[in-house]
Amino acid sequence: MATEPSSAENHRVVESLAARLRRRQVVGSRETALETVFVLRQVVSKARFSNIDQLVEIIRSVGRKLVEAQPKEYTVGNTVRKVLHHIREEYHTASQGTTASSTPKPSFSIAKFVSQGQPRKQATPQKTSHETRGMLKENNPDDPDAFARTLKPVLMEAIQDVFDELETVYDNISKNAKDHIHSDEIILTIGKSSTVEAFLKSAAPYRKYTAIVADTAPSYSGQEMAQSLSSAGISTVLVPDSSIYALMSRINKVILGAHAILANGGMFAITGSLLVATAARAHSTPVVVCAGQFKLTPQWNLYHEYGALDFADPSSVLGFEEGDLVDKVDVVNPFYDYVRPEMIDAYVTNDGDHPPSSVYRLIKEAYDDEDYEL
Amino acid sequence: MSTTTETVTQMVTPTASLKLSTSSIALPQPSCSSQSQMQALSSARASAQSQASSNSISPAAPAHAKSAIYSANANFQRNTKLNDANTIPNPNSDPNTNLNAPKSQKQMTKAERREQQEAQRAAKATAKTTASQSGTSSSKPTSTHKQSASVSGKGAAYPSAATPKKPGKGQDWKPAKGETKEGAYPHLQMDETPRGLRIFSHFGAPKPPAVTKGDIHPAIIRLGLQFAAFKITGANARCIAMLTAFKTVIQDYVTPPNNTLSRHLMVQLSPQITHLVSARPMSVTMGNAIRQMKLEISGSDIDLPEQDAKNALCDTIDNYIRDRILLADQVIQETAGSKIKDGDVILTYARSSVVEKVLLHSWADGKRFSVIIVDSRPMLEGKALLKSLTAASIPCTYLLLPSLPSVLPHTTTLFVGAHSLHANGAVFSRAGTAMVAMMAKSRSIPVVVCCETYKFAEGIRWDGVSKNELAPTPFPPSSTSNSSSQHNLAIKMNPNLSMLSPLYDLTPPSCITAVVTEVGIIPPSSISSIPGALGRVTIGA
Repeated sequence: MATEPSSAENHRVVESLAARLRRRQVVGSRETALETVFVLRQVVSKARFSNIDQLVEIIRSVGRKLVEAQPKEYTVGNTVRKVLHHIREEYHTASQGTTASSTPKPSFSIAKFVSQGQPRKQATPQKTSHETRGMLKENNPDDPDAFARTLKPVLMEAIQDVFDELETVYDNISKNAKDHIHSDEIILTIGKSSTVEAFLKSAAPYRKYTAIVADTAPSYSGQEMAQSLSSAGISTVLVPDSSIYALMSRINKVILGAHAILANGGMFAITGSLLVATAARAHSTPVVVCAGQFKLTPQWNLYHEYGALDFADPSSVLGFEEGDLVDKVDVVNPFYDYVRPEMIDAYVTNDGDHPPSSVYRLIKEAYDDEDYEL
Repeated sequence: MSTTTETVTQMVTPTASLKLSTSSIALPQPSCSSQSQMQALSSARASAQSQASSNSISPAAPAHAKSAIYSANANFQRNTKLNDANTIPNPNSDPNTNLNAPKSQKQMTKAERREQQEAQRAAKATAKTTASQSGTSSSKPTSTHKQSASVSGKGAAYPSAATPKKPGKGQDWKPAKGETKEGAYPHLQMDETPRGLRIFSHFGAPKPPAVTKGDIHPAIIRLGLQFAAFKITGANARCIAMLTAFKTVIQDYVTPPNNTLSRHLMVQLSPQITHLVSARPMSVTMGNAIRQMKLEISGSDIDLPEQDAKNALCDTIDNYIRDRILLADQVIQETAGSKIKDGDVILTYARSSVVEKVLLHSWADGKRFSVIIVDSRPMLEGKALLKSLTAASIPCTYLLLPSLPSVLPHTTTLFVGAHSLHANGAVFSRAGTAMVAMMAKSRSIPVVVCCETYKFAEGIRWDGVSKNELAPTPFPPSSTSNSSSQHNLAIKMNPNLSMLSPLYDLTPPSCITAVVTEVGIIPPSSISSIPGALGRVTIGA
């Protein structure tokens, strides 16, 4: 494709990120999303293309490569989709000039929304039909780079938008924290999610509550979390995972982080999330998930099975100090749990709070339908 | 008071003087003193086993050994015990805090006190002075807490949270925190801090140490140490160990003149029981066994010669162990084993002696199945089960509790043990069992509880919070990563952070498919009828 000649230097950036993803040197959904934005920015700034389809194809090929490197870091694909979405939008406004505003959104109807996705979609087919007007000229044989030259500044802006969203995601999520946390509540969380950490901390000045943190074997990241929360002045109780059920009857709310939110409203999250969510269900305790919208993933998962999970190194469960036991025993140490949508009461995102049942709508708004498969 | 000291001194004449001197000198090195103390005891009892256990206890859990040793001390120096309760655990428990400074001063006062007391003992005026001195000394640590509350008050309180089994200590710090809250620190945060803990403050309910009356038998002291150090855990093991120790106590018992065995033996035994309870709260199994033993003692024939009566009692104890525990386990092995088929994948949580027996027996029977062992902090007992099962070459999978959902699709049956069973069908068992049972139930995997009928407790419980015990080491440094142990160290410094680690939780009857007992397999809804069917031999007698 058009990518091959122009991507010699791009490949280095892409390869480097792909390698780091594969080696798990870059982990965590926000971290990988940020890295992806950086890579895409470099790719776009150096790419040579003479029409929008070429550009889209370049970005997609990069996206494919990164996703293949680490399919379980869903935010990589999401970021690519988001960038594509923004780029198309910018392209349409740039190529339309006045026409975009002259085609008013006709009427809102559920049927149209479901069949066509976002309202914007209704306008696009007409736009592409009478192609490139105004200042934008695609496939100019005289000056093949003219299109890229005119479009690049807006493209950079589009990518900057995605980046800004990632930058401000914690602030925007925790903006409403004090509406979710009341005084004297006892809140349970597990593991160390930066989103949940920011959320809980931002409520701390307004509400006096107690956070119970399960230490979340085998990473024991809950200890870090407990440490961080308590140093922010939140009264924190660190408990082992085994006591979650016993304490659940005294807990007012469970706040979890997510690794990826799926189109059906379920989510992948750190191991232990399913246990906590099920225990919370058994006690009718609300389960709130804090996650940025960059975690919305247009994929489905209906079962908690090996293929959907990702397995980590077993040494943290049963180390070599156990001697010959290591030879005789299978050790299981998955990274993530799949939590069904019925287990979750609400997603608190950087763009409002949503029930799991409306996640599909958010996904329709966030990405273009044609990008679901990169 | 002095008579009790004398009786013990008679028993251990060659070492009595040594003991007193070590305990007064060796305070800065508690593990050393505990060893010599234990050796003194064991030489008195001529038991090599005790020495072994003392050596293994001291390095592993000096704090517990220490606290228990303290209660051992108490019998020899009864007059100093109230002061010791406040001084010994505090300065030694956390050398990192600023309590280092008061430590030496307190030792000095302790020595002074002992001098005074020894002088006063002759004058028989001990009680008043001890009371006044303990009053002043007990107020000291509290005021230290108060003054240093914002900087290190919580830090100082931390070790007692970490080692909540230490009797007396826990009571010491909770009121101190309450005072912090109301008093000089009206910070909202400080105001809030105790709240989360207040809900759980009854956990473990540590009792003031060794307000034991009378004379504690060395076998009981040893057992108390083993309980406190969690060397003997598990409802069955603790019950058997206790009954065995009681047999020794009964054999060494001499009925005083003008008394009968059936009336006086219980007077002799109750301080022993109190001592064990102060080491670690009593299990339901122990309670049931003790109740049965009391029944037997009060029913023993007055006209029987003393030795015959003691032998008869020991026989009934032996029978109890055999019938209610060992034979019951065998029946359960057969019954539960019949529910295991070739190719099954058996899930189990932590380590239950009964479940272990069931699996080993079934494997020896030629059944070919595999076992998934789920484990969790604080106790990580599953590793012991893993060792014994792999030694029998049973194929095993090992995982930690949070990873449980990923193995559920392959599981056919869940077997768990129990600490006690309640009339509403709820199972009180190792913390985490409820979660495993809940997950299994949600996937329609049969949840089978293996439990002898002597574990049945009267009364109903609603949740695991209402009554619980705290684990000895809530967050043992992870063996694999140095980082987490570093976290542990750092965590101690933080005033807002506390730790809580219940030892048990309650599995609701809705999560249980069946309970395998020696009288058959019953649904949890029928548990309440079992004691009646057994003729109420043990329950609520």
